[in-house]
Amino acid sequence: MSQNLGRIQRKEMLLAYALLLPSLVFLAAFTYWPIVRSIWFSLNDVLLGDPDIFWLGAENYLRLLNDRLFWKVLGNTAFYTFTSVPLSIAAALLLAVALDSKLRGMAFYRSAFFYPVMIPSVAAGMVWVFLYAPGYGPINEALTGLGLPRLDWLYDSKWALPAIVIMSIWKYSGYFMLILLAALKLVPSDLYEAARLDGVSAFDRLVHITIPMISPTLYFVIIIGTLHSYQIFDYVYVMTQGGPADSTNVLTFYIYQNGFQYQDIGYASALANALLIFVLGLIGLVSLTLGRRVHYLGER
Amino acid sequence: MKATKLNISRRGLLAGCLATPFVSMMPNVLMPAHAAETVKLQFMYPVGVSGDINTIISGMIDEFNATHDGIVVEAIYAGSYDNTEQKVITSLGVGEPPSLWLPINSSLQTFLGLDALEDITEQAKSDDIYDDFIGGFLGTAISSDRLYGLSFQPSTPVLYYNKDAFAEVGITEAPETWDQLFETAKALTVRDGEALKRWGLIIGGGWHDWMFEGYCRQNGLVPWEADKVLWDRPESVEALAFWKTMVDAGCMAPASTWQGSANDFMAGSTAMLYHSTGSLTNLRTSSPFEVGVAFMPKRKTWGASQGGGPIMIAKKQSDAQKEAAYTFARWMTNTENQAAWSRATGYLAVRKSSWEMPEMQAYLTEVPQAKVAMEQSAYSGAFLQVPAYSKAREVLKSAIDRTLAGEVQAEAALVSATDEVNREIARVLRRQQRG
Repeated sequence: MSQNLGRIQRKEMLLAYALLLPSLVFLAAFTYWPIVRSIWFSLNDVLLGDPDIFWLGAENYLRLLNDRLFWKVLGNTAFYTFTSVPLSIAAALLLAVALDSKLRGMAFYRSAFFYPVMIPSVAAGMVWVFLYAPGYGPINEALTGLGLPRLDWLYDSKWALPAIVIMSIWKYSGYFMLILLAALKLVPSDLYEAARLDGVSAFDRLVHITIPMISPTLYFVIIIGTLHSYQIFDYVYVMTQGGPADSTNVLTFYIYQNGFQYQDIGYASALANALLIFVLGLIGLVSLTLGRRVHYLGER
Repeated sequence: MKATKLNISRRGLLAGCLATPFVSMMPNVLMPAHAAETVKLQFMYPVGVSGDINTIISGMIDEFNATHDGIVVEAIYAGSYDNTEQKVITSLGVGEPPSLWLPINSSLQTFLGLDALEDITEQAKSDDIYDDFIGGFLGTAISSDRLYGLSFQPSTPVLYYNKDAFAEVGITEAPETWDQLFETAKALTVRDGEALKRWGLIIGGGWHDWMFEGYCRQNGLVPWEADKVLWDRPESVEALAFWKTMVDAGCMAPASTWQGSANDFMAGSTAMLYHSTGSLTNLRTSSPFEVGVAFMPKRKTWGASQGGGPIMIAKKQSDAQKEAAYTFARWMTNTENQAAWSRATGYLAVRKSSWEMPEMQAYLTEVPQAKVAMEQSAYSGAFLQVPAYSKAREVLKSAIDRTLAGEVQAEAALVSATDEVNREIARVLRRQQRG
């Protein structure tokens, strides 16, 4: 009997591995192997376009520690993550709560707010370059209309990165909104009814019922948002090329610059490994702080 | 009867469809003679200025293909100069470079460092290249007396100005010195309260390091040698401080983009613009006002750095391809084509004989602006031909930007940029010595 069971288990295991194999092959070829190679390259002098490589030891990492621009780029990336993620999720949450009703026309508004997600990022970047144009851009026209000072936006080293953050909020909050809307549908409506009978205000209902009830989804959205945020490359490439004065240069763009523009694959690999550590650190931070406060329905 | 016929033709069609992929896989079997004769070349090129350059180049290549049996050139538009260089280097990395490419002349040492370039000195000497090409242009493709390309689109920055705007404020002459430039820019700037209506001057962004090298030359300094940059010299610091003075006075834009600055000029948002002479035809024909062109103002002397670049030929390809590649590069730079290319764009024709053609003479009479960059080129030299030039450019641009944004003083910015770039050049040279 137990022998029979063992055979069945072995068969199932075999099937499981057979089914996993295709994705494992891809993961190994396009994720793990590149990581191993980038660690190897980071310890060598590797020039793009040249097959010869020369051993350097830790030199690339020492350069990195003394690289003024690397620290600036790291700061820019952190600024982008710590502004764009909370702001776009807060916007998404408010939109989701506002649009979670059975009133007529809600489908239209949901589609409208989701629409930016569907626009290809390069096209969206070009549109925002126009919107931000200092001379004739609609945003500056609107600021003038409101009696506010005009800004140079993408040409101003103080405003260029915030400008990209604003655009990212527009681009991503619709996506987060959709996920949060799905979670809101699962919150039992009797909780709200009870709260309403007790005279709890709308704000308190949001803070004490909605947010705890959808906290697993919020947590998921924060993780996804954080992962998105360090991958930002396309907007920087299209809108500013890292400028002016490196104020919008972020880690992925700096890796690209070093690897492909300066052909310095060794140093770019060292940067990529720094990025890996940065991301692991971020995810660790999120899971240690927010992950512990997640409330799973039905869990004791 | 009819049905039968239809059936046969259907079957035939089906057989044809099935056979097509196999037939197309065996051109050598079916057409051996043809395959032996046709040499295929890939040519990667960028668009580096304002205007519909892409259409002009692909038109030239179509004409070449139509008139040359046995050679087929595939035109690959690769984006900006940087994009083009990256694509070429990546393909060099996998051992399959294009046959020819058109980079910025500054990249000469980068490609030589990769041992990527065919030495065409002997071919050029037995041809008329050394006699007919203008020496200063050919020189940008020469390293240690060997020639590695045929100059195709040399340029220098020039000062474009809006003649209507000049007339508005009663200025008749283009500025000739830095001081005059400053005064003119102040006079041309228009503000409505705090809001800016028109800049006096924009220095085309993205290539402002190229213009900056011109400023150094105007101040008596070529700011680089074969193995180092000299941006920390007083002549260079003074040039950047002068830019900062103009920015602080509110008459020069602190930052801009390459295409954006050309558009701003055509839209009247700036009265003066430093841009490539390669943009001449587009700026002249697309602006709704009369466009003046002048030398970049001088300080101690006139001065400019050459932009644009030569057509380079890959070392790693068959002899037949090399020969065909030379034929193509030679054709793109022949007397007639260079004259036509120059008229269509504003780039400077590389051959003396092109400038002597009656069509060219007539054009220069009609568009005297086209003469300016050619005359200025007498005071020009190659642009930043150091190893690691690409990083050097980014570091310098960043130093200029941070200075103009007021984050750092000109001297501190240039001293640290010089240190950083010279360390990088030393690193690249060390590698070349090991290799």
